[in-house]
Amino acid sequence: MAGTGKAHLRDQGDILLRVEDLVVEFPVGRTGLKVNAVSGISLDVLRGETLGVVGESGCGKSTTGRAIMQLPRPTSGSVLFEGRQLTEMNGDDMREARTRMQMIFQDPISSLNPRRKVRDIVMEPLSIWKRGTSAERRTRVDALLEEVGIDPQRALESQPHQFSGGQCQRISIARSLVLDPTLIICDEPVSALDVSVQAQVLNLLEDLKAKHGLTLIFIAHDLAVVKNISDRVAVMYLGKICEVAPSDDLYRAPAHHYTQVLLNSIPVPDPNAATARTAIEGEPPSPVLPPPGCRFHTRCPAASDVCRNEEPKLRAIATGHFVACHHPIHGDEVAVSVGQLNSEVLP
Amino acid sequence: MTATLTPTPTPTGTVVYAKARRKVPQLGWMFGAAWLTVLGICAFAANYLPFIRSYDAKIQVNGRAKKYGLGPGWTAWFGTDNSSHDVFARCIYGARQTLIIGIGATIIGLTVGGLLGVLAGYYRGWADRVVSIVVDCLLALPPLLLALLLIQRSDQIKESITAIAWLTRSEEIMITLGILSIAPFARIVRAQTLALRERDFVLAARSVGAKPRRVIWREIMPNLVPAMVTVAVTGLGILIAAEGTLAFLGLGVERPQTWGKMIDASRDDLGKAWWAAIFPCLFLFLTVLSFNFIGDRLARKFDIREAAV
Amino acid sequence: MSIRIQASTRETDGPLLELEDVRTHFQTPRGVVRAVDGVSLQLERGKALGIVGESGSGKTILSRSIMGLLPPRGTIRQGSIRFEGREIGGLSRRAMRDVWGKEMAMIFQDPMTSLNPLMKIGAQIAEPLRIHLDMPKALAWTTAEKLMQDVRIPAPGRRLQQYPHEMSGGMRQRIMIAIAMACGPTLLLADEPTTALDVTVQAQILDLLGEQRRDRNMSLLLVTHDLGVVAGHTDDIGVMYGGKLVEMAPTAELFANMKMPYTEALLQSIPKLADVSHTRLNVISGRPPDLVNPPAGCRFSPRCPYVQPRCREEEPPLIPTVEDPRHTYACWYPVGSPQYLETKERRRREAEVAA
Repeated sequence: MAGTGKAHLRDQGDILLRVEDLVVEFPVGRTGLKVNAVSGISLDVLRGETLGVVGESGCGKSTTGRAIMQLPRPTSGSVLFEGRQLTEMNGDDMREARTRMQMIFQDPISSLNPRRKVRDIVMEPLSIWKRGTSAERRTRVDALLEEVGIDPQRALESQPHQFSGGQCQRISIARSLVLDPTLIICDEPVSALDVSVQAQVLNLLEDLKAKHGLTLIFIAHDLAVVKNISDRVAVMYLGKICEVAPSDDLYRAPAHHYTQVLLNSIPVPDPNAATARTAIEGEPPSPVLPPPGCRFHTRCPAASDVCRNEEPKLRAIATGHFVACHHPIHGDEVAVSVGQLNSEVLP
Repeated sequence: MTATLTPTPTPTGTVVYAKARRKVPQLGWMFGAAWLTVLGICAFAANYLPFIRSYDAKIQVNGRAKKYGLGPGWTAWFGTDNSSHDVFARCIYGARQTLIIGIGATIIGLTVGGLLGVLAGYYRGWADRVVSIVVDCLLALPPLLLALLLIQRSDQIKESITAIAWLTRSEEIMITLGILSIAPFARIVRAQTLALRERDFVLAARSVGAKPRRVIWREIMPNLVPAMVTVAVTGLGILIAAEGTLAFLGLGVERPQTWGKMIDASRDDLGKAWWAAIFPCLFLFLTVLSFNFIGDRLARKFDIREAAV
Repeated sequence: MSIRIQASTRETDGPLLELEDVRTHFQTPRGVVRAVDGVSLQLERGKALGIVGESGSGKTILSRSIMGLLPPRGTIRQGSIRFEGREIGGLSRRAMRDVWGKEMAMIFQDPMTSLNPLMKIGAQIAEPLRIHLDMPKALAWTTAEKLMQDVRIPAPGRRLQQYPHEMSGGMRQRIMIAIAMACGPTLLLADEPTTALDVTVQAQILDLLGEQRRDRNMSLLLVTHDLGVVAGHTDDIGVMYGGKLVEMAPTAELFANMKMPYTEALLQSIPKLADVSHTRLNVISGRPPDLVNPPAGCRFSPRCPYVQPRCREEEPPLIPTVEDPRHTYACWYPVGSPQYLETKERRRREAEVAA
């Protein structure tokens, strides 16, 4: 399954963020065991692109997002943001770099300080970095709040618990925009919201991205949501990347068996479509003792000996479409055309 | 066949099964608040209130000052004590002294304990280890023994450390009780801080570039206030009772007498003049009870677990 | 007092569960919250009914009202809930205990907190067997093992001795299902059973529920906010909004022929895999209604893109469609009506002008 591999990293274009061989491990109490949350992944994001990272719980996607922000610092790997190596920065430089990369969290209400007024919360980043005068800060905050659809007067007087989940998420978005960042990492921002509110927030993110020229990394477990908002999608399983492809290609022609399973499992709101889909057996293995070779082989319908022993690396099977699998779906065509593609895709 | 507009009429019509019942009114804390307010006003305005005699006023019976001359009655509401002073007036002045000591000790405990707790909870690692050891040591000290040692030997201590020679007895008690209350406060604050620092809004503040000091001050502290207030109020009750115990053991403040001291002074004559000891007891009981009621209510309101107190 | 009525008096014909004008209101400091405000429906034996709604629609309170799991104080209940012909709506908890487990069972949303952390799994599954069916301990544990096999838990013998924290979310949900099935109830209520689970595990659990239902000829009331979940696993769907049922139809019919603008808007606001990326999602403006002071007239009127003056004044009743009497909806100007089409055309033209 997904292994380390950098075939999918691009060399051309305005690369805003480039992550290489990221590893994040957490010790388990004092047993000496480690949770291998992220085991050697590489990603890159072009300026103005939206990269979706999708996977189920325990795959390491949230940990990846936080590791990019260095909160906490990853165990190893390189994170190049705007050409600067984040992993080597000291505390003060890192704090300064953080003004250009922001994060939005999953639980809208707990991501806001319950005892402060909303406007103060949104103004906090400006106060920390002492940008502008008091009056200028207020104007900027009010403008942003209006942009996300929150009444500034109400924000002045009210605390987070007086707003709904969707509104709290908008407030979080406003707060993340106030320092004018280039990159926003969204960690499951709509998972805790109702369906209709989810649509509002997704549309809002698209609008803001266009207006402020943002680059987004959108982490979620819902493939339909990720597909809707992303240009490019990376699928993760148990700390590794399985597949990277443009959103439409991923759905149209998934190459990795796990991606296929994910697509099959998603309940479609159409009674005629829900036919003859067999759910996958079993549960994901523990990240403390991940399986050798391809990490998905224990549940993969196409697993063979090579899968049990050798970890597959990411390789191209179509333009911009990379998969880490020894037997990708449409495998025969892959073997033939890879040779041709290599010269086209990798300049 | 699913839902249809059923033409069959309901046999019972609309049936009301359960009516809303009024909640049981919570009287405890209201009583507590009332008692403390009245007591507080009397205590701190005692000099100006006409119905409270001055501290040293002696009430004469038949023209002479008599020990325990009067029982509770019209002239002296709570009777007189063994020096013919008005027990009621003494209770009020005693309230002032007791409350000052209690509040002072709580402030000391809360400030030092709170600071230690926050640092330990936020920074973890070495800070946490050191603070935990300190707290464990404090908890291991037998409180009564420590109090006895410190206060009985206070004169000697004051001789050797001239810097603190100016401490009066009441301040010594305040400091001792304050020291003893550091550990419980530190533990509660540490526990709350540990929980708070994992919350998303703290992570959000850090991700915006806030320095630790700012994160602690702006994000964590405001959220600690409910827990601290609750524990402080309940702790105040405990400290007042503790002061009473110390006084009862002879370590009280001489002047003005605290309730504990009054009880101590009159306990031998309990049979003869019960009023001199019972009324201060009653005041002590009602005051501690009030703090407990209010502390309970706050704990329920803020959903705090008080296991560490 | 047991309410297990003898077989001769139990109605075996007719619907398994019948709700008539059920209302559940709560007394709060802010006023009376009308969480469920007049819901009527019927559920046949062996059928699956999905109740779909967002937060604040009243769907969870509805399922709790049926089970009788409401807080005792401050709750005002009206209406009739009949299970197998017997009125269960007004029964006390003590009387309901005879119904729970044996006749009716419920599984909840959060598998992490729904199991007793200090009790072995085997004991938790065996408990209803011993209480309701008076099984001796050894037999109960053997039956528990068999139940775990039914819900496809691998190595059930070993798992019997484990504790909940040793199992994953998906497995705990299976355990919950096993506990619910233990005494063979005729009705299973599932309150968002898969919301907290991963999507692959969700598919497994839903398949499992369907399988159990067919094997035991059990009825299922599935409460969820996810239209996708109900599309594949229910026979009928009821859509709730603001405490009321606004549309009810057989599943295929509902998706093919939606009448209520809310249902249509809900479906359109879900991102679908089949859409191209960056498809603009249709948004329902505004927020769910205040259940203390619900809007006059139709509860959806403040947010409905096709609202007409009559909608704000008069509350529409549930009426059947012309095509299919099983499909009922509550709207004065449903999808497809002349006023609806007119408004839609007008909005389309406005959007073109603005673009």
